[in-house]
Amino acid sequence: MSEIASQQLPRLSRRRQLVDGATRHIVGAGGVAVICAIALIMGYLVWVIVPMLAPSSIKHAASHSVDIEGTLHVATDDTFETATFVRSNGIVEFRDTKSFELIQESRVADGDIDSIKPIFPTSDSYAVAISNKKLAFFRVAHVVRFLGDERRIENSATTLFEDSIVELQDVADYDIYRSESTLRVALLRNDGSLVVNAYDDVDDYFELDQPREAPIPSWNRNVEHIQIVMGPRGRWLFEIDTSSGDYRLLNIASIRRPRVEVEGSMGLENDQFLSATPVLGRYSFLVAYQSGMLAHWSLTPSEEGSHLQQIRNFDGRGPIAKVITEHRRKGFLAIGQQGLAQLGYTTSRRILARIDLGRLPEVIEFSPRADRLLAINPHSIDVYNVVNKHPEISWSTLWGKVWYEGYQEPVHSWQSSSADTDFEPKFSLTPLLFGTIKAAFYAMLVATPLAIMGAIYTAVFMSPGMRKLIKPGIEIMAALPTVILGFLAGLWLAPIVESHLTSIMLLIVILPVGVLICAFLTTLLPRHVSARFDGWFAALSVPILVILGYLTLTNDAWLSNLIFGMDAKLWFYEKAGIDYDQRNALVIGIAMGLAVIPTIFSISEDAIYGVPQHLVHGSLALGATRWQTLVRVVLLTASPGIFSAVMIGLGRAVGETMIVLMATGNTPIMDINIFQGMRTFAANIAVEMPESEVGSTHFRILFLTAFVLFALTFLFNTIAEVVRQRLRSRYGNL
Amino acid sequence: METSEKLPQDFGAFHRQQLGIGLWFKSGDPWIWLTATAVGACIVAVLGLLGLIAVKGLSHFWPSDVVTINYANDFGEFRIAGEIVQRESIGRNQYLEAGSNSTAIETDQVERWMIKSGNRRINAPDFRWVYKHEIVQQLKATDMLVFERSEWGNAYGTLVGIKEHGQSIEPDNPWIELQKRIDRVTDLRDEARRIQKGAINRINYKLEKLRLEKRKRELKGELDFTDIEIERDRLNAEYLVEEQRLRDIITQLERDEIEIRIADGRISTIALRNIIRAWLPNEMSFWQKLGHYFSSIWIFLSQESREANTEGGVFPALFGTVLMVLLMSVLVTPFGVIAALYLREYAKQGPFVQLIRIAVNNLAGVPSIVYGVFGLGFFIYLVGGSLDDLFFQAAQPAPTFGTPGLMWASLTLALLTVPVVIVSTEEGLTRIPSELREGSLALGATKAETMFKIILPMASPSILTGVILAIARAAGEVAPLMLVGVVKLAPTLPIDGNFPFLHLDRKFMHLGFHIYDLGFQSPNVDAARPLVFATAFLLVLIIVALNLTAITLRNRLEARYREALL
Repeated sequence: MSEIASQQLPRLSRRRQLVDGATRHIVGAGGVAVICAIALIMGYLVWVIVPMLAPSSIKHAASHSVDIEGTLHVATDDTFETATFVRSNGIVEFRDTKSFELIQESRVADGDIDSIKPIFPTSDSYAVAISNKKLAFFRVAHVVRFLGDERRIENSATTLFEDSIVELQDVADYDIYRSESTLRVALLRNDGSLVVNAYDDVDDYFELDQPREAPIPSWNRNVEHIQIVMGPRGRWLFEIDTSSGDYRLLNIASIRRPRVEVEGSMGLENDQFLSATPVLGRYSFLVAYQSGMLAHWSLTPSEEGSHLQQIRNFDGRGPIAKVITEHRRKGFLAIGQQGLAQLGYTTSRRILARIDLGRLPEVIEFSPRADRLLAINPHSIDVYNVVNKHPEISWSTLWGKVWYEGYQEPVHSWQSSSADTDFEPKFSLTPLLFGTIKAAFYAMLVATPLAIMGAIYTAVFMSPGMRKLIKPGIEIMAALPTVILGFLAGLWLAPIVESHLTSIMLLIVILPVGVLICAFLTTLLPRHVSARFDGWFAALSVPILVILGYLTLTNDAWLSNLIFGMDAKLWFYEKAGIDYDQRNALVIGIAMGLAVIPTIFSISEDAIYGVPQHLVHGSLALGATRWQTLVRVVLLTASPGIFSAVMIGLGRAVGETMIVLMATGNTPIMDINIFQGMRTFAANIAVEMPESEVGSTHFRILFLTAFVLFALTFLFNTIAEVVRQRLRSRYGNL
Repeated sequence: METSEKLPQDFGAFHRQQLGIGLWFKSGDPWIWLTATAVGACIVAVLGLLGLIAVKGLSHFWPSDVVTINYANDFGEFRIAGEIVQRESIGRNQYLEAGSNSTAIETDQVERWMIKSGNRRINAPDFRWVYKHEIVQQLKATDMLVFERSEWGNAYGTLVGIKEHGQSIEPDNPWIELQKRIDRVTDLRDEARRIQKGAINRINYKLEKLRLEKRKRELKGELDFTDIEIERDRLNAEYLVEEQRLRDIITQLERDEIEIRIADGRISTIALRNIIRAWLPNEMSFWQKLGHYFSSIWIFLSQESREANTEGGVFPALFGTVLMVLLMSVLVTPFGVIAALYLREYAKQGPFVQLIRIAVNNLAGVPSIVYGVFGLGFFIYLVGGSLDDLFFQAAQPAPTFGTPGLMWASLTLALLTVPVVIVSTEEGLTRIPSELREGSLALGATKAETMFKIILPMASPSILTGVILAIARAAGEVAPLMLVGVVKLAPTLPIDGNFPFLHLDRKFMHLGFHIYDLGFQSPNVDAARPLVFATAFLLVLIIVALNLTAITLRNRLEARYREALL
């Protein structure tokens, strides 16, 4: 070979150089790529989270001078391509949103329209009061059709219920609710009496039948000032006196027996009530006062029944003349008399952006996605771009207590989704953080003593032969998939713990005491016998543990009668008021403890085993017992290593997913009780991530929790690593 | 370390000269015993856990005897037949709570048996508790048959008759005749499956490809699709032929029926095509049972699951796990090794590299679910979504790579395990004495040659250990996979006979997720439980075997290179 090589040396050497250079570049590039990929994880998480912090804004986009006097209502389609104008002459106009040229118009009323109200809670149907004293209904639709590759929008405004109308004789105010098959029309007559007409089996294309009528006694107020508002799910009716802020809440869930739920007031002592605007879902109102305050009042249940409760305030910077609300979230725009508009969000109690509109527009509306605002004046249309992606998030909504609609008090709550469209998502991370800490705490409570004591014995006292078996044996436990531990905990351990509660709790005492008694007995044996046990205590304790454990568990009924006089679960419930959940923190503690033990055991065993021998020998030579040597010399020297083991174990417990997912009920409650479950960050991600809409606030919050997990474990591990490095250098010095 | 000579006797053991509990405590020995107890408890936990999984997992396949039980309580007299799945004692309170105040009891404890009486759809429910004190009579009938049905679980009963085309036939030996006919049905069923999974699947795949091809051309603005339409018509014709073949087989399958008498005396008819196996548990000898046991294990390993995964085998899950792990190791090995080589051999050692080293170390401790979140967000939505927009426009709006799948799962797990490989490889590289490198360079080898011929071979045990540990970790991970590609039931395997054979965009099944799904999402937990244990045992077996391989391999290769060094 060498001959050939020497003959081809010049060529080869160039090839060798090439190979060398190529390898250098490939390894360099590969190495940097892997490091970048790792950095990417952190970078990407942050990249997803950051948009949540982006500021909101309203910017004037365009102004069009169009003559549209007498516009009563404006709406746009989902993609902001067509704007719908309802004019007082009974005509619905469709205009494109680029130039506001008229595209199409259709007549929906056979006379002039006095007033219009959207049918609650739909977003496309309206009721109009026509001047000849009747109420008509229509729906606006924008259907996207494809003709080949050409995209066309077909706009239409069609009357509902085969032109059925409701007579409006002597009616001062009205409001309408519609569900899939029912229609409820509330009418306030000039004499102050109130009636709710309930239509059943309603279909868009059929005439309305005769309604069932529910008369409600008069409130004896000046009818001119009374405003009526249909409440959530058509089960409530608000009657608001706009002169004083007094209100009457009517329960019309049962149309046969409507009743007055409560009478109250949204008026304040030294402030003049101006107006009340219902927020999406109509569980709450935004109430403007003369002082400029904007208060949020929510329907709140209490022992006496529901009432309206003031739950938060906003500073309106001067009296608010008009409030409009978003169609899909609990956001709003409050406009002052001079035209100062403030974009706010109720849940997070944030004012997000401000803009001066110049004057108070006659009609102003959000687009359905709340990304545009249309302000209509008799001779001009102004379009505003709104950037407001994640208004529901603020530091205090994520971590603090929030007073949600329908709650009696501010709470920490995690409830990210529901079947209702008008649902207010509750994004408090505190219950999840609490659950994470609780699960980790109970796991560490089980794992730390067992693992550290085990490590001490294995490193210091165990016979070398046994150590060779035990150490890899316990380390293999670390590789055991947690899904297996989780399923055993949930399906096998949880029922056993539930039915053997007393004995499981007693085992903590019985096992060590039992082993100690047996150990003492061995000292009574002749010395040449007991000396052989040295180093094999662990093996000896196994049968004792098994026998004692078996005896305790099989005599559970007897034991619990002895101690509690009844079933332990029952005792806790009756005497201590502690509810027992089958999949609880105790089960988690045991199962996750088992998952964490190998980690802590292995690292602290290494640390203890690595303590230099001359320290031990010195101590023993000075007459210390082996226990004294252990506690005062060995453990003291190894303590940083043990600390780092505990930190790494903690990191694992915090991020463990499958065990918690399978062995708890995953309810996000804040209850320190060991017999209750919890929901942790990791389990929450596993449950909710697949269903989360990309780019939504929920999605980003889940990323935030992932980032918190990442940061927490990274922190724990870094501390552990630094401590370990210092320990290593200290051993070096000794 | 020099500590290897350390013996426990080195610690003075003078305490034994005196007796007495006070002195004993003073000597500190009780505390040593307590630490020993901790080790003992760990041993009990490890062995107990493994033992529990092994016993419960393996006993599932044993054809246990079918007992016929007559029991009576205040509601009347009942007679059921089935396997005793579980025996337990419950306290008096629990007994009363369970609403079974039917029979008064004096004792504190009541023993109850869980009987798997099967016969779902004939005689619900298929699991029931029987209190021991209510049992009047119990026997093992020798003619009791167990039928494994393709739907609704097992059936228990005695054979009454066999029908062909609705006509009873009177064979000399009904049992042999039954076996013969079950074999025939099995063959036909296999044939039907072959057509379905083979030809029909292939034609459907081609049709889908054609549809995409057409859509692609449409997007390009082409208008002439005659060649595609001709091809499609040809495939449709082929499909009709296969479908007819399948129909013929199904008609043949419908031929036979059997009648069985279940424990309460009723007679029930079962179509033979639903029967997979039948056996006489009470009459089988030990060796027959052993044969049955191993054939059950083989079915478990080699067949697909049925009945929302509560029956049948775990083959697709096993296949998915192995394939995903293989793909992952193909990705993780080169990158992990290159990164370690870079950090140790090429990069300039300094605080920055030290920082990266700590970061890599720490990444091994980052919760796996975080990787799952990253994989879903970055790989699937960002990268996959962009790939779809660029290359798979024809398939839209259905995503191709913008949805969880095999490739993303492997990539995510590769990222998850790359720190393991890096750390392990680096450890191996550190251990190689620098004299070897210097010697090689001094002899005129280039750095690359030194690396390929000296360093990499010597570090190979550590690399291998790292890869095996990575595989073991990946095989057991479930949490991130739930986000990036695992499903409870995948219609097709990620590898099949259709070009390009390996379908990286497909979703797959996984043993770990199978356990989670079976144990916690299953509608019939009692029926699923034994299978969960069996699956868990399989997974534990794979992982423990991988870990042991890693340990042995490391020891062996280390020994070899130690010799080379000396």
